[in-house]
Amino acid sequence: MKGCKKFRGLIIEALGEKLDPETSSFLEAHIRSCSRCAAEFIGLDEMLKTMDKRMRRDPGREFWDGYWDRLSRRLEMEKAAAEYAPGSPRKWLGRLAGGTRRWAYQAGAAVVLIAAGIIIGRAVFSPRPLPIEAIRPAGEAPEGQTAATDPILRARSYVDRSKLVLLALVNYVPPAVDPHALDLSLEKQVSRELVRQAGGLKSDLKGPARRRLRELVTDLETVLLQISNLEPPDDFEAVEFVKQGVESRGIFLKINLSEMGGDLSFSGREPAPEKAPSQKIKT
Amino acid sequence: MEEKELVERLSAGDPAAFRELVEAYKKKMYFFALDMVGDPADAEDISQEVFLKAFRGFRTFKRDARLGSWLCRIAYNTSVDHLRRRPLIPETMEDAVLDSGSDGFRELPPSSDPARTAETRLLGVRVERALQNVSDRERTVFLLRHYNDLRLDEIAEAMQISVGSVKSYLFRCLRKLRKEFSRPGTPRRPLEVSDERL
Repeated sequence: MKGCKKFRGLIIEALGEKLDPETSSFLEAHIRSCSRCAAEFIGLDEMLKTMDKRMRRDPGREFWDGYWDRLSRRLEMEKAAAEYAPGSPRKWLGRLAGGTRRWAYQAGAAVVLIAAGIIIGRAVFSPRPLPIEAIRPAGEAPEGQTAATDPILRARSYVDRSKLVLLALVNYVPPAVDPHALDLSLEKQVSRELVRQAGGLKSDLKGPARRRLRELVTDLETVLLQISNLEPPDDFEAVEFVKQGVESRGIFLKINLSEMGGDLSFSGREPAPEKAPSQKIKT
Repeated sequence: MEEKELVERLSAGDPAAFRELVEAYKKKMYFFALDMVGDPADAEDISQEVFLKAFRGFRTFKRDARLGSWLCRIAYNTSVDHLRRRPLIPETMEDAVLDSGSDGFRELPPSSDPARTAETRLLGVRVERALQNVSDRERTVFLLRHYNDLRLDEIAEAMQISVGSVKSYLFRCLRKLRKEFSRPGTPRRPLEVSDERL
């Protein structure tokens, strides 16, 4: 029994492989003299023989027959992957060759897309040709029409001339001007002429769309009538009266609004009618 | 063919030699991996990985070593890596045996005796169960030693442990296995009622 522990290692070795003759006879001598080690050796040997009967699940002949093919395919895939791995010269060559082709394809596709976009844009989104009236400068009469016959052109001329007369009068500052030097004969003459034109012009400015312009002409007519009736020596007071009238009526504001709103530019057709005032529902 | 000659041809880069190596060791590698991981698909994957690693790194093979032990060492490391990556507990071989039909034992010689076939199958169940009742290291040492014929020093090299540790693991494993086989066995599944026949 004593010293059996050191024979365990030899028993383990003897169970798995062939010992050299000297070690083998040394172990045999111990086993003959030690029933415990003998039982251990025999028991383990029998157990291993039982383990030898172990049958593992065999995947079958087809599996083994195709094993090499599957492995070689995997090997080929790994080779191909390694060739195009980062740092591989073939990868760079392949990228250079293949990349150039790819770049060319991409550039061609981009050109085609741009061309298609231009064609579609021209066909769908291009602005419609404007009517000749729309591109004609404001105030220019269309063919066959003259300033004498077109009411808008006449109104424009009327407003411009009235504006000049009014500006001359409004910018007049009595203390800074010599009273003897005040001469409004020209303004009065123009005003009288404009008052004469106002009646015909208002009758030509028909329709609700020209209501604002018609009202402006009416206001101008009133002020111009005052100017044409100025008489010395009451000119200074009368001028002040006219200036107040211009301010209270907002003549210059109305002129500016008419110019900005397009009332004085020629459209060639009637402006869109204004909405009629909504009627109250009787309850 | 002499292993030495095969090693020479492999060193020279002979493609045919690599195929011979695969044909000679494919079953050993597959079954070792199957013992380690328990799944046939994983076992094939691991065994193929073993040969690929051998192909790529044959220059690291020492001429005085044995091809079988070198491949087993690769298989052991590959299996351990696989088990580390796998989060789930694998199906044990016992479960695999119990769940398998008769096709699972194609290695068995055809027998006309149903009783003998059943007895052999139950023996297989008991062997697998016995192997599941030892620690991973003990089982690995035993598998390498008994089913792959590796020497103690080769096992020590493969598992990066000392020869004394290998002997210790092996001895403990053998004792546990013997103890498992020597007792009637406490039934854990309904199938085990006939284990006493063994």
